[in-house]
Amino acid sequence: MSLSNVSILVCDDSILARKQLKDVISSFSQEITIKEAANGQEAVDLYKQINPDLIFLDIVMPVKDGISAVQEIIDYDSDAEIIIVSSTGTQTQLKNAIEAGARDFIQKPFSDAQVNKVLKNHLGEE
Amino acid sequence: MYAQFFGAYLLSQGAITPEQLTDAIKALSDARIKLGTLAIHHGLMTASEVEEVCFLQTREDKKFGEIAVDRGYLTVAQVEELLETQTPDFLLLGQSLVDLNILDNASLEDLLIDYQNTTEICNMEDETDQDSDELIERFFKYANYPITKPAATYLRLLFNNLIRFIGPDYTPLSPVISDEVAIDFCVTQEMSGSSNFVASIDMSQDSAIDFASRYAKMDFVDFDEYVQASMEDFLNLHNGLFAVNMSNEYSVELDLAPPYVEQGSVLRLPPVSYVIPVIFPFGTINLIITIMEENEE
Repeated sequence: MSLSNVSILVCDDSILARKQLKDVISSFSQEITIKEAANGQEAVDLYKQINPDLIFLDIVMPVKDGISAVQEIIDYDSDAEIIIVSSTGTQTQLKNAIEAGARDFIQKPFSDAQVNKVLKNHLGEE
Repeated sequence: MYAQFFGAYLLSQGAITPEQLTDAIKALSDARIKLGTLAIHHGLMTASEVEEVCFLQTREDKKFGEIAVDRGYLTVAQVEELLETQTPDFLLLGQSLVDLNILDNASLEDLLIDYQNTTEICNMEDETDQDSDELIERFFKYANYPITKPAATYLRLLFNNLIRFIGPDYTPLSPVISDEVAIDFCVTQEMSGSSNFVASIDMSQDSAIDFASRYAKMDFVDFDEYVQASMEDFLNLHNGLFAVNMSNEYSVELDLAPPYVEQGSVLRLPPVSYVIPVIFPFGTINLIITIMEENEE
């Protein structure tokens, strides 16, 4: 399956976390277009511009946190495929994220295998 | 964490100075555990027997184990068993102190026995959370500071996360309670909930490069945005895991604020704030922890 039309938005305030995610996605397929956002507001704005197929979104971020960003993105596009990637996976936050519309959750520190599994589930086998 | 706190124990006993401990930790990467130190630790040889074999090694072109077998101190089977033994990290620190002539083998033997009795170590591989909490409480008791249960729980996870994400080759120095601290490059994160936590991690830019290289498993050469992000990620990751533990074990919800950076100034600290220097071979990092108990609802 060609993934040349697939785009993924990676949103984390940490440039390191964004790089680590981008590296795994690029290893999965070099055809995927990857865009970056450094806070929740940037993610919402960029989502509206590019309508990505998948978003990886951190929770604790400046300007706008991940849960608020999920709510705004889902308000704009109820079919948005949002994956939360966070170190703070408390039951309450998981519940908030899922209720807001997130599809999945990856606990940091993440392994390549966890990210690959999500990519396969949402984009199909590469 | 028995290994990491052995250095703090030696300091508390006045056996070594902080400067000597720093030198020994810096030399750790070069230290290779010697069979004699292992044999003392396992109670198979005395310090004087080890000294005798070491002396004989200067006269005979033989390995330590061969001479020890010749003299009847060890059997061939015991030598093989020792060679296969996984080296406890605190023995490496002890070895390093002996190599630098800061301690002799006899003193090290006594201190190892005392440390194991004091900490009631039965099985190094079987350290429980309760053992670790007691180790931390004792660490603060040596410094004549009481420590609260939430603080001990927080620090236990922090010391474990240092082992997990940075490496086991560190030793915390005695904690101090302070109302201000001079910082170099400092990342801080606040957590709020039924208790408020403020945690900072401070180090030189050079140390940050090594710290980040270990954390991100990348070879950073310059102090750049990735190095800074690594420090922030470590603190955020640790605090996130702590928040999960508090939620799961105590039904306490903590909200994390994004980490922020301060440089080259003096931090004013609210009561009660602990400053804990932690020595790694690449440099010293300062953990600065403030825990404000039980907010009024």
